[in-house]
Amino acid sequence: MTSAIKANKSIDCTGLFCPMPIVRTKQEMVGMKSGEVLEIVADDPGFAKDLPAWCGLTGEKFMEMKQEGQFFTGYVEKK
Amino acid sequence: MKDKITIILFSGELDKAIAAFTLATTAAAGNMEVTIFFTFWGLNILKKERLTLSATQKLMQKMFNLMSTSSLPISRLNMFGMGAWMMKKLMRKTNAASLQDLMKLAKELGVKYIACTASCSVLGLTAANLVGEVDEFAGAATYLSEAKEAKINLFI
Repeated sequence: MTSAIKANKSIDCTGLFCPMPIVRTKQEMVGMKSGEVLEIVADDPGFAKDLPAWCGLTGEKFMEMKQEGQFFTGYVEKK
Repeated sequence: MKDKITIILFSGELDKAIAAFTLATTAAAGNMEVTIFFTFWGLNILKKERLTLSATQKLMQKMFNLMSTSSLPISRLNMFGMGAWMMKKLMRKTNAASLQDLMKLAKELGVKYIACTASCSVLGLTAANLVGEVDEFAGAATYLSEAKEAKINLFI
């Protein structure tokens, strides 16, 4: 998967269901610095909507959600 | 100030507990302050051991503690435990988070547990019967004072 967005870190949440991809995202973001970008790969279809919704809750910056087949790749910038 | 959510966990069924803890962990991961108030059958979720009998319990309290344990049924199609067994097996197969996983996460994310003292008294339960993760033992007024500040209040 190539992307214009440069991620500082990437996590693989494939095979995990709600709420795990969001909880893993949160846990990963805790250790990151402001302005850094996290890439999350998941195959729970709900994740495509849940990631921007979670960013709305937390104030983290939602950048992009890409879909390739059954896989979703989301990008979030730490505020 | 953080947004707040409270959940009254009245039911002692596996599926309902999973729904409650899915919301609790997601809310906590969304930087919300989360309180779960465990009352009546919901206390079964917190029982440390399967059998919570003690010498001080009255006969009917012993009966309830024998028949309503930490081995949780599911709310539909339980079929004397076969349904719950099948559900757990299915969840493992599909790699869904178990109730134990979610409860561990809930504590890591700072979810607060309050156990209802009135229900504990009626059912003959003490702090010693429940897991150490319970933050407070309190009643309806404590719950309401938290719920009043919360944006989301659920009864499950």
